[in-house]
Amino acid sequence: MDDKRRGLQQGDAPIVAPERLWRSLSERAGEDAVREARGHEFVPGAALPMDSAGEGDAVSRRRFMALLSATAAFGAAGCSTPQDRGKMVPYTKQPPEVTPGIANYYASAFQEGTTVYPVLVKAREGRPIHLTGNDAHPHSQGKTTLRAQAEVLSLYDPDRLEDWREGGKPIKKDAAIAKLVAALSDGPARGSRALLMTGAVLSPTRRALIEELKGKAPHLVHVAFEPVADHAARAAASAAFGDGPALAPQLDRARVVLAVEADFMSTLPDSARLIRQFADRRRVRSKEDGMNRLYCIEGRMSLTGSNADHRLQLRPSRAAAFLFALAWELHEKHRLPLPYGVDSSVLSSFKLAAMVESEKLPAPVVEALAADLAGHRGQAVVLAGPVLPAAAHTAAALLNVMLEAEGRTLDACALVPLATPEELRALRADLEQGRYSVAIFWESDPVYALPDGADWKRALVQVPLCVAIGPLATETSQACSMVLAANHWLESWNDFESPGGVLTLQQPLIEPLYPDALMQGEEILLACLKALGAQRPGEYYEYLRERWQREVYPADSPAPFSAFWEAAVHDGFVQRPVAPVVRTFNGAAVAAAARDAGLGDPAHPTSSSSAHSGFELVLHPDARTWDGRYANNGWLQELPEPVSKEAWGNALALAPVDAERLEVADGDLVEISAGEAKLTVPTLVQPGQAPGVLSLALGLGKSLGSIAAGVGVNAFPLVAAESRSPYLRTGVSLTRTGGKKKIIRTQEHWALEGRDADIIGRPQTLVQYAHGDHEPHAHHDHPTLYPEHKPGAEKWGMAIDLSSCVGCSGCMIACQSENNIPTVGPEAVDRSREMHWIRIDRYYSGDPAAPEVVHQPMLCQHCDHAPCENVCPVAATTHSPDGLNQMIYNRCVGTRYCSNNCPYKVRRFNFFDYHLERVREPQEMVYNPEVTVRPRGVMEKCTFCVQRIADARMRAKAEERPVRDGEITPACAAACPAKAIVFGNLLDPESEVSRLSASDRGFKVLDFVGARPAITYLAHLSNPASPEDDHAS
Amino acid sequence: MSLESAVERAFPARAPKSAPLSPARVDEQVLSITETRPPLSWYAAFAVAGSVMTMGFAMIGYTVYRGIGVWGNNVPVGWAFDITNFVFWVGIGADAHFGDIFLPAALAQRHRPLRGGHDAIRRHVRRHLPLIHTGRPWLAAFWLFPIPTSAAWGQFLLALFGTCSPFRLLHGVGAFLVRGAVARLASLRDRARAARAVIFSILSLGWTGSARHWVHYEKAYMILAGLATPLVLSVHSVVSFDFATSVLPGWHSTIFPPYFVVGAIFSGFAMVVTVLVIVRWAMKLDNLITMNHLDVMNKVILTTGLIVGLAYFTEFFIGWYSQALYEQEMFRLRMFGPYGWAFWVMFSCNVLVPQIFWFRAMRRSVPVMFAVAILVNVGMWFERFVIITPTLAQDFLPSSWGMFIPTIFDIGILLGSFGLFFTLILVFARVLPVISTTEVKMDLPGAQPHRTPSHHPPLPPLPRGEGAAAGGGGD
Repeated sequence: MDDKRRGLQQGDAPIVAPERLWRSLSERAGEDAVREARGHEFVPGAALPMDSAGEGDAVSRRRFMALLSATAAFGAAGCSTPQDRGKMVPYTKQPPEVTPGIANYYASAFQEGTTVYPVLVKAREGRPIHLTGNDAHPHSQGKTTLRAQAEVLSLYDPDRLEDWREGGKPIKKDAAIAKLVAALSDGPARGSRALLMTGAVLSPTRRALIEELKGKAPHLVHVAFEPVADHAARAAASAAFGDGPALAPQLDRARVVLAVEADFMSTLPDSARLIRQFADRRRVRSKEDGMNRLYCIEGRMSLTGSNADHRLQLRPSRAAAFLFALAWELHEKHRLPLPYGVDSSVLSSFKLAAMVESEKLPAPVVEALAADLAGHRGQAVVLAGPVLPAAAHTAAALLNVMLEAEGRTLDACALVPLATPEELRALRADLEQGRYSVAIFWESDPVYALPDGADWKRALVQVPLCVAIGPLATETSQACSMVLAANHWLESWNDFESPGGVLTLQQPLIEPLYPDALMQGEEILLACLKALGAQRPGEYYEYLRERWQREVYPADSPAPFSAFWEAAVHDGFVQRPVAPVVRTFNGAAVAAAARDAGLGDPAHPTSSSSAHSGFELVLHPDARTWDGRYANNGWLQELPEPVSKEAWGNALALAPVDAERLEVADGDLVEISAGEAKLTVPTLVQPGQAPGVLSLALGLGKSLGSIAAGVGVNAFPLVAAESRSPYLRTGVSLTRTGGKKKIIRTQEHWALEGRDADIIGRPQTLVQYAHGDHEPHAHHDHPTLYPEHKPGAEKWGMAIDLSSCVGCSGCMIACQSENNIPTVGPEAVDRSREMHWIRIDRYYSGDPAAPEVVHQPMLCQHCDHAPCENVCPVAATTHSPDGLNQMIYNRCVGTRYCSNNCPYKVRRFNFFDYHLERVREPQEMVYNPEVTVRPRGVMEKCTFCVQRIADARMRAKAEERPVRDGEITPACAAACPAKAIVFGNLLDPESEVSRLSASDRGFKVLDFVGARPAITYLAHLSNPASPEDDHAS
Repeated sequence: MSLESAVERAFPARAPKSAPLSPARVDEQVLSITETRPPLSWYAAFAVAGSVMTMGFAMIGYTVYRGIGVWGNNVPVGWAFDITNFVFWVGIGADAHFGDIFLPAALAQRHRPLRGGHDAIRRHVRRHLPLIHTGRPWLAAFWLFPIPTSAAWGQFLLALFGTCSPFRLLHGVGAFLVRGAVARLASLRDRARAARAVIFSILSLGWTGSARHWVHYEKAYMILAGLATPLVLSVHSVVSFDFATSVLPGWHSTIFPPYFVVGAIFSGFAMVVTVLVIVRWAMKLDNLITMNHLDVMNKVILTTGLIVGLAYFTEFFIGWYSQALYEQEMFRLRMFGPYGWAFWVMFSCNVLVPQIFWFRAMRRSVPVMFAVAILVNVGMWFERFVIITPTLAQDFLPSSWGMFIPTIFDIGILLGSFGLFFTLILVFARVLPVISTTEVKMDLPGAQPHRTPSHHPPLPPLPRGEGAAAGGGGD
C-alpha cells in the first residue's frame, strides 16, 4: 500500500491527469463533482487535524485512539492468570538454576516397607516427571525398582483425597486437629488408650516425633505394621543372635549365591540394588572374565529362579531340613567348623543324601552346591525368603555363619521394629473390647492387608474416633469416621536410615497438589503436639532441620550447618560412621529349629507324613503392586508380571503335573481352602513350579480406587493370622468351582518353535564360551535392492546382554514414564493392544516341569533396511541420517501396515484416544513435555529416546565438542539395574556399544530377514557347575 | 442379424427358442421396468438390504467417531476384516473387467447386457473400505485420495500407493460417464415425462443419438479401452502386490498376482451369477439372460475354481519345497493352526464345491448354481481372511503371537458392505436399465447397416474395442 501510494506521488505522474486521458465517461464529460473529487488524495475527513471531530458528532481520531486504548486496558485488567489467584505448583524452594525447558534433577527418597529407595527426580518447570535411582547414593547407584519409578504416576493419582472429611463431610483443619487432640488428651481420664498405627518407621525424625507425642500423650500406643514383613527371619534372628542389627546381602562380594525361596530380583525389597550387584559379578566381556553362580531352591517359579544357573525344586516346608542337611554336609564332608554351641548330634540326623532321594533332587547339582559353598567361604551367601518358616531362617543363618558371610557378603542394617502377627491379633482383641478411645491409621491399612481384616473392620466400630491419614482412600479409611488427606512423599520432607550408616533425605519436589487441604502426615502429629503444649515449629521441614542440626550435624564440622544441610539435600544423603556388626550365634537356637525342621521330614527319623497331604501355598508380594500400596497405579497394573506375563490381576500358579491331575487349565476358577480361609481364584499353569506347590501374589483385589478396584483377588485372607511364617500355608486343598476367568497376559505363547538360533542366538555355558567350542552365530549378509544409507557422523545403536538381563521389567516402566506411554486397561491388554515400547519376551525351553527360561528385551530394532519404512503409503516412518527409524506422528494415517510388516512386532497402535479416555486430571502433569502425546489412529514405537539424543547433541554443540560415548542414555538403559542395555554411536569404533556389537557373542534377532537391525544381542551365558570348571569365579 | 441367430452362431445346438426381438421390444422390456411401480417383494428386499446398510454405516460412523479400537484388530493382527472386505470387494469389482476381456466374444456380446451399473456400485463399496480401515480416515482421505498433496508425498515404492493413485480414480469416473450409460439414459429420457425427463436430460448430457455423437462415443470408447486394458490385469495384481511387498512368510510370495487375479474372476463371476439369477427371475428377463449365458458362466466358475485350487496347491508345495522354516510353519499353521477351520471352509467352498459343475444338469440348474455361487462367495471371502489374518497372527517371534477375535463392529461392517451392495443393486435395478439396451440393439438386425455379417466375423476378436473398456473402473 505504501509502495503504491509512493508510486503515485513520485516521478512525473501528476495527481491531475492530463485532459486527454479520462477515467470515466462522466469525467470525460467534465462533470464538476468528479473533477472536484479527483483533486482529493484522501477521502473526506482523512486530512482533518487529529483533534477535530469533523462533521456532526463523529469521534475525532485522537479520541478514537484513546477509547480503543482504554478498552484494551480494561480488557487486559479484567483478565487474570491462575497464578494471580494463588500459588500454583511453584518451586518449593525457588532454585535460581531453573530455566524453563531445561529439566532439573533433585535427590529424594522414599520408603517401601522396611526399605529405603534413594531416587533422583527429574522435574520440568516444577513438575516431577521421571524417577531414577540416585546415582550419587551408595545404595542405589542410579538404579531403582520399577515400583519406585512408577511412583511419579501415583503422585498425580486422580483418586487422591483432596480434603479432610469427617463422616463424609468436609471438615476444617483446625476443627479436625482439635477433635483429635481432645480425643488424645481425654483418653487417660477414661482409662482408655490411643492407637497410632503406621508402617515401619525408618525415619529417625519421624520416630523422634512419635516419641515426643507419646511423651505428651502417654497412653498413645504406636504400632508399626507392615503387611509383608520378614516375620520368620526376625523370629529366627532373635533366637539365634538375640537383639542385634539385621543383615542386608551384598551380592557384589558374593561368588556363590544360594537363594532359597528368596526372589531377590523381583519381590524382595531392594531388588534393584541386588540385581545390580548380582549382574556386576557376571558381566562377561572377554573369554577370561568369570561369573558368579546362582543356585535357587524354590517351590514357586520366581524371576530369580528363572535366572539361576541351577534351580532345584523343593517344597518350601522342606527347605529347613534341606538347609540343615546342607550344613551338616559342609561340616562333615567339607570340614567347615560349626559355630560354638551347635550340637552336632542334632544336625547329624539330617542327611543330604536321604534328602536328595526323598525329594528327587539331582544329586550332582546338590553335591556341586555343597562343594561350591565350601570352596567360597567369605564369598558365598545364603538367602532365605520371607515365605520360609523360622527354622529355615535359622538354618540359613547357621550356613551364613559357617560360610563367614557376615561382614563380607552380609552387611548390618538397622532392625526396624515391627508388630508381630501375635501382637496384631492381641491389638484387635483390645480394639474389639473398647480399650481404645482413638485409633489413627497413618498410611496403614489393616482392614485390607491383614488376614482378619473383616474382624478389624468390626473392631473399629468399637473405637469412638477412628482417623485415617494418607493420600488415598483405603479399606481402613472407609471404616474411619475422620479421613485426613495427606501429602504424597514427593510433596514431603523426611529422612531415612539406610544400611551402612547412610542417612537418606527426602525432599519435596512439588508443592502439594491441593495445597489448601493437604499437609504431610507428620505435620498433623506436629499440630497435635503443639496443641498438647509442646513448643515445636508448625512445619515438619523446620522440625527436621532442627533435629538434624542437633543430632546429625557433626559437632566438629568446619562448615556451617546451613552449608552442611544444603549439601545433604543436594546429595540426598549423608554418610555417617558405622559400628561393625557384632552378632554372636547362639548355637542352642539350632536345636529348637532343627526339631521344627525335622517334623514331617521323611529323611529324618522322627518324620511323619502329615505335611504331605495337600498343597503348600506360597503367598508372596506382587512384583508390581507389592503389598497393595501401588495397586492404584495403572502403569504397574498393566505391567506384565515378569514370569507369568500376567497383567491386571493375579492367579494361582500351579505345576503342570498338578494341573493335569486336577484337570484344570489356565483361567479355571478354583476354591483354595487353607485352614478356615477360603478364596476363589483363577489358576495359571506355571512351567517350573514344583509339584504340590501353589503360589499366589498378595497386593491385588482392592475394593477401592478407579484403577485398583476389582483387579485380581485379595490373597491376604489366606495369610496365616498368628503364625510366625504367615506366608506359607500347608495342607491346602483345591476344588474346582467350574467357573472361568480369563487370564490376561501380554505374551500368550512361549515356546521358541524351533526358532531358537534366530531369536535368542546360541546360549552357552561359561566353560563352553571360554574354550571357544561353540557354534558361531549365524550371520546373513544378504544382497539388497535398497540403497545403502549414507554414513554420517553418528549411527545410533544398542547392545543388549541377554546374560545380564534378568527380566525385571524396570525398563518397561522407565520407558512408559519417559515416553508418555498410555495404559490401555485390562480388556485392551487382553486384545493384545498394550502400548509398551519395550517389552521383555520370556521363552521357556525344555521340559515344562523344569524349563530353561530366557528373558529378552524387545524394542524397535531401528533397522537399516526397515520393513516398516517402505510399506507406509504416506511415508510417515522414515530413516534419519543418524540411523534412527523415525515415526512422524502428524503424517501417520494409521494404515498399520508398518506394524504388520515389522518382524519384531514392536510397533504400537493407538486404537483409541487413550490419553483422552484414560487420563483424568491431574494425571496429565506426569507427561514428559519433550515427547509428543499421540492421538488415536497413530502408530508409535521406541524412538531410542530421541529427545535425550537431541538434548545431548545440543549440549555438545553448545560446548563445541562431539557427543561423548555414554553421554546419551535412553530411559530403558538408565533404568536397567543389570546394565544389560548399552547405547551409543556405532560409527565410533571406540564406543562401548561398538565394542559390544563386535563381540563374538553378538547376534541380531531374525538376521535372515535382512532388515539389518541396529540392536545387537549378546547371547546368554550361564555358569552351571561342571567337572572341568574350578567352581564359580 | 437377430439375437437368436447370433446365439445360434455361437452355440448352434443350444439357441433359446423365444419370440424374436426388435429394438423397440428390447426398449420396452428393459426400460419399462424403471417406469413401473416395483413389486412388494422389491420393497421387502430393499427394506432388508437398506437396514443392513444403514446399520453398517452407523457402525462405520461410530468407528470414525471412537477409533478403530471398536474392531478386534490388535498388534500382531493389524489387518483383519477391514482389509479382507476390501480385497473381497475389489475382487468382485474387478470381474467386470475380466468379463469382457476373457469371455468368448459371443458371450461377451451377450454379457454386455449384464454389465452397466454393477461395477460402479462395487467401486463405491470397495473404495470406502481402505479409507475407513485407517486410524485417521480424515487424514487418509486428504492425503491419499484423490491426489497426494505436496504436503505429503507418498511412498512411491509401495504398490498400495498405486492402488489409490489419482489416475485410476479419474479414469474410472470418465469411463463410467462415457460408456454406454449416456445413450441408455437418453433412451430413458425419450420415454419419460415431467420431472423424470428433466433428470434424465441432465444425466444424458444432451445425447441426441446423432451420427456425430456416435462417432465421438466410439472414439472415446476406444481410447478408454486402450487405457483400461492394462488396468484389467493390474487391479488385483496391484492389490496382491500390497501383500507381496511385505517380508511376512505367507504374504511375501511371487504367486500372488496371478493367484489374486484368478481369484477375482472366480469370485466376480460367482457374485454376478448370484445377482443375475435374482434379476433374471424377478424381472423375467429369461429371453435376454439365457440359460446358455449362465451355463457358460458356470463353466468359467469351474475353470477358475480349478486354477484357484492349483494356486493353493502351488503355494503349499513351494512352502514345503523352500525348506524355509518360517514358510513351512506358516502353511502348517494356516491349515492346522488356530485359524485352521477358516482354511478348511475356504478350501471346501472354493475347490470342492465348484466340482459339481462338471455335470451339465447342475450347471443349468438355477437353485444349484445359486447355492454354489453363494458358497464360492463365502469361500472367497474366507480366502482373503485366511491370507490376511492367520499370517499376521503367527509370524516370526512367537512372543508376539496373538489372536484376532472379531467384535460386533467387524461383523456389522462386513454385513453392512453386503447391505450397501444389494441396496445399490436394488436401486439401480429400478432406476436405470439393468441391461445395456443400446448395446443389445447394436446387435439387432438393422442396427449396423454398414456392417454386414461378412465384415463381422462371428467369433473373436471383436471388431470394436469397447469390450475392453467395459470394466472401465478404477478402484
